[in-house]
Amino acid sequence: MIDEQTWVSQAQAGSEEAFTQIVEHFQRPVYNLCYRMLGEPEAAEDASQEVFLRVYRNLWRYNPERPFGTWLMSIAAHYCIDRLRRKKMTLFSMDEEDAIELPDRNAPDPEHEAIRSEQRQRLHRLLQSLDPIDRAALTLRYWNDCSEAEIAETLSLTVSAVKSRLHRARRALGKTWQEQEHQNHAERIAYGSPAI
Amino acid sequence: MDHRPFEDWLLEDKPLNKEERFALQEHLRNCTSCTALSEVNLALRGARVASPAAGFADRFQVRLAAERKARRIRQGVGFTFLALGALGILLWVSWPLLAATAQSPSGVISDLLMYLSRLFLNLRAFGQALSVIWDVLPSFIPSYVWAIIFAAFSGLGLLWVASLRKFTRIPVTSQ
Repeated sequence: MIDEQTWVSQAQAGSEEAFTQIVEHFQRPVYNLCYRMLGEPEAAEDASQEVFLRVYRNLWRYNPERPFGTWLMSIAAHYCIDRLRRKKMTLFSMDEEDAIELPDRNAPDPEHEAIRSEQRQRLHRLLQSLDPIDRAALTLRYWNDCSEAEIAETLSLTVSAVKSRLHRARRALGKTWQEQEHQNHAERIAYGSPAI
Repeated sequence: MDHRPFEDWLLEDKPLNKEERFALQEHLRNCTSCTALSEVNLALRGARVASPAAGFADRFQVRLAAERKARRIRQGVGFTFLALGALGILLWVSWPLLAATAQSPSGVISDLLMYLSRLFLNLRAFGQALSVIWDVLPSFIPSYVWAIIFAAFSGLGLLWVASLRKFTRIPVTSQ
């Protein structure tokens, strides 16, 4: 099996096919990071394509002593952070989110799956309220399964800064989550919902 | 309410033993803040990786081709403007000469020949002056100064070669 370093070497030598392999291999983690960072599927698609273009243009700068995945995700994370800072994108469309995070109807427990799906959507919305770097750190940790050292390298931070950001981000998410729970509870009482 | 050490356990994702798990469950019954944190943890662990729509690599190839085409057009337009600008400046600078040549070609040719002969004589005089300096100077400068000058120029040369290697690597642009 050809590994990613071989594809990278071949792509650096000008092989289109090898670069296509790289795109195929990394499209999902890159798209996921862009989607979690930017919040919208269209923006994530556009950002992912731009990230791969940047990788293509700067492939000659890549140092093979670093893991390629970390280098690539670093480009993606910094691009999304810059884009968020430039445009201050805070808008979020529920319809688009529904198109991505639909519950799995074939799941053994559809009710449980529906609750999980709702929680995922809620989490995705809450993510948009975080600082872009905290959001990137959280996405890399939980969606991309990166270690704290890998996140530090990707985001050009120290490991202790990553730990601190992860803690802060989860505390902030927990606080907002709790506030929403209170709000939902108050609404149910006000409308006399049978849910209580 | 005292959240320690429960909040730390939740934030650190610490593996818990039986007693710690029981203590955490008890705490979560009464603490909405830690319950929210625990639910966030669960939601984060159960989060799905979003995937792009099918055909991402094909769409990328299309975008890459469009980008290359746009770059070629930009380069072509840039080169055309540069060439036109250079031609304009050349015409502007040489206009008096062109006008004079049109009026009296023999006068211009004789002026040009005189100018060239003056230039040749001046260059020869300059070369002779330089050779005199070259013969006299070594006796005035001590050998350690020559060593310093040689080392400095070697260092500059190495720096130049290193910077060339670093900044002028040709990027991969197979068309």
